Amino acid sequence: MLSYGLRRLGLAAVITALALIILISMIQMIPGDPAAVLLGPLATPETREAFRVQMGLDQPAVVQIARFFGRVLTGDLGTDVLTKRPVLTTVMEQMPFTLWLIFFSIGWSAALGIPLGCWSAISRGSWADRIIGILSVGTIALPSFVVAIYGLLLFSVALGWFPTIGAGEPGDPLDQLWHLVLPSLAVGLGWVGYLARMVRASMLEVLSENHIRMARAFGLKEATITYRYALKIAIIPTVVLLGIGVGNMISGAVFAEIVFARPGVGRLIFDAIATRNYPVVMGGVMITTIFYVLSTLCADLFAAWLDPRVRTSL
Amino acid sequence: MLGTKLTRRQALGAMAAAGLSAGLYPKVALSQDGKILKVRSYGDITGLDPAFRSGAPEDDVMRNIFPGLATMGPGTEWKWQLDSAVKLEQTDPTHIAFTLMDGLKWSDGEPVTADDVKYSFERFLDPKLEAVYKGDWEALDHVEVIDEKSGVIVLKEAFPPLWNVGLVYGSGRIIPRKATEAMGGRFENTPPAQCGRYFIKEWLPKQRLVLAKNPDWPGEPGAFEEIHIRPIDDEKTGELALESGDIDYTWLSVSSIPRYRQTPPKGGKIEVRPSLAYVWLGMNQEMKPFDQPEVRRAVQHAIDVPTVLEAAYFGAATPATGLIAPGLLGHRAKNIYGYDPDKAREFLAQAGLQGGFECTIDILNKAERIAAAQAVQANLAEVGINATIRQYDSGTFWTIGDEKAGDIWKTIGIQINRFSMQPDPSFATDWFTPEQIGIWNWERWNNPEYGELNKKAKVETDTAKRHDMYVKMQDLMEESGSYVFLTHEAVGIGYSDKIAPALMPNGTPIFYGFKPA
Repeated sequence: MLSYGLRRLGLAAVITALALIILISMIQMIPGDPAAVLLGPLATPETREAFRVQMGLDQPAVVQIARFFGRVLTGDLGTDVLTKRPVLTTVMEQMPFTLWLIFFSIGWSAALGIPLGCWSAISRGSWADRIIGILSVGTIALPSFVVAIYGLLLFSVALGWFPTIGAGEPGDPLDQLWHLVLPSLAVGLGWVGYLARMVRASMLEVLSENHIRMARAFGLKEATITYRYALKIAIIPTVVLLGIGVGNMISGAVFAEIVFARPGVGRLIFDAIATRNYPVVMGGVMITTIFYVLSTLCADLFAAWLDPRVRTSL
Repeated sequence: MLGTKLTRRQALGAMAAAGLSAGLYPKVALSQDGKILKVRSYGDITGLDPAFRSGAPEDDVMRNIFPGLATMGPGTEWKWQLDSAVKLEQTDPTHIAFTLMDGLKWSDGEPVTADDVKYSFERFLDPKLEAVYKGDWEALDHVEVIDEKSGVIVLKEAFPPLWNVGLVYGSGRIIPRKATEAMGGRFENTPPAQCGRYFIKEWLPKQRLVLAKNPDWPGEPGAFEEIHIRPIDDEKTGELALESGDIDYTWLSVSSIPRYRQTPPKGGKIEVRPSLAYVWLGMNQEMKPFDQPEVRRAVQHAIDVPTVLEAAYFGAATPATGLIAPGLLGHRAKNIYGYDPDKAREFLAQAGLQGGFECTIDILNKAERIAAAQAVQANLAEVGINATIRQYDSGTFWTIGDEKAGDIWKTIGIQINRFSMQPDPSFATDWFTPEQIGIWNWERWNNPEYGELNKKAKVETDTAKRHDMYVKMQDLMEESGSYVFLTHEAVGIGYSDKIAPALMPNGTPIFYGFKPA
């Protein structure tokens, strides 16, 4: 297990470095002059030139990337060119809001999707199975932004149950939770169907295996067979999927943060790209890439712990 | 286990209680006692130093936390009013005398002095500071301090725009000399000291900025105890937040204005104000075939402006007659060239292009700009011109005409653009001079007469003469063939019927002037 963990960790480091180099190179290739965008029309050519030098934009892209990695090694992600605050502070200030949104979304979707998938599998061919199947495909097909906008119109504007904007009153966890409901509905709804379909398929495969038939032959209760023997194995691919899902939800969080005017690292990066605030883009991308790689790493390690066969491959 | 067993009745009861609290909680959390004003800003603040502010979100905050000698007043006509001065008087074309009101005090306890005024204005000219807004004070020679409260602003030459831009907007805000110098001569989002009707109580990036009433303000105080400014990028989200009661004030998207005119938001009101901004279609004179005057004139005649505006603004915007909006000095009564497709075809034939030609229309990827470009594209197709629309994100679009930012400027044919504006004509005309070619003059129109007029009009003190000069400049622009003036747009504002907003003629909010209805 330790050997597998170390190998997996090494691979994660390589993936992180490669992803960052590709992403940062892409940023450098985007047309548009940050000095013009950030300083606005009133800035003189001299002011713009001074700004380019100050940001290091007068240097070749390779030098800029090398400088960035050099600074990262010392724990410095640079300075936000708009607010002049450290990028690390800016990103870490926004990260908790995104993490809350992601974990809340994945949490409720797993809590609903996994039992629905189990139920669907054990009642295969029944009306319940068909209804869950239709609903699952329906939620997968429904675009998240449609859920977000209709959620806002129905639950905020028409019924007034939930707030439309923001992340809640600082220091009031209940209010913050309340502000999470609609965004997490939008981000997580598709995952309910996705997880239900995934668990159903895994469960059906496991339920047809010999050891399950043997358990039935021994006269064990159906509930015991389902939850103690079948689900334990069937859940493994779902756990891996959840790891990837957590990382993927960062991109899903961007639209939720914009539509619901929530703070968050997705919106931060989105705004920073629009204003060509490169240090924030690079710092934000780095932190989210690391988060993504770590979440998939944790999922892989957890899967390896559950199923030793996984450890034989990288 | 038996002790914790949940009966069906208990479960139903718990669910009902949870449902009830779900329904009640937000109302408790969002309940207001009328002391807090919640408003939308289109973005978060980025820098509160008057010399380096980046847009309206900063201006809207600075107006509340820094005093100025004068400010633009609310209403439907552009006129300045005293802010923290009891006297502000132009004694001759190059001297403006001022006296600050008594009792003005910075948040660090220091008094606001004439020396602070001197420091605040003269620092714009400090070459080391590289102030982005130094143009606002380009005519300033120095500020003479007479005593603690009085002084004289001495100009190098007469400069009328000072009264419409420099003195009354962000560049006219006074900052504390001692505290700012102690911070190295400039600051970002943490002002060294504040003095206004409000002060910043809390700033949570990307969440909100809270302004609290300043109990030490010697003038008329603000009506609300706190003002919560929420950065909401998306206009539609702002509208929904207004409808649900989460905010009391927002700008509306242009596309929503007709709908709200028919059905105002529940518990809210809307107002539509004329914008100062100007939207125009420009042609690059150095790009073939627009280097031929006949081709440019053909395009001018090919564009049916009312139809373009109907498509882009749903009837909420009216056609423009130049760069300068109605109500401002320099506003032109009418255009010279209008929609006439037959004439357009004639001019194309004169240019030897009776079979039409291919070109591009460059635009920012905003909904109304895209719709306008599509309507223009249809107009051009009617006379045989086949245009392709190229959309850019804001980061790219604002640099396409800049020679130092790449090579896109070489490929610009037609572009539809929008510039924002302040209530002085010079703010609109500055960008089309020969010196601006390769920077903001994307049409690459080189007219020395226009450039000269622009310089002279800035220092002309005779209002009638100044008006005529700006009218002439717009005539020159249209005669060149490179410009089709489209619209000044319209500004939609939605607000709760529980408040009475204080708005400048173009809808710019003066938050400290908002009152309960």
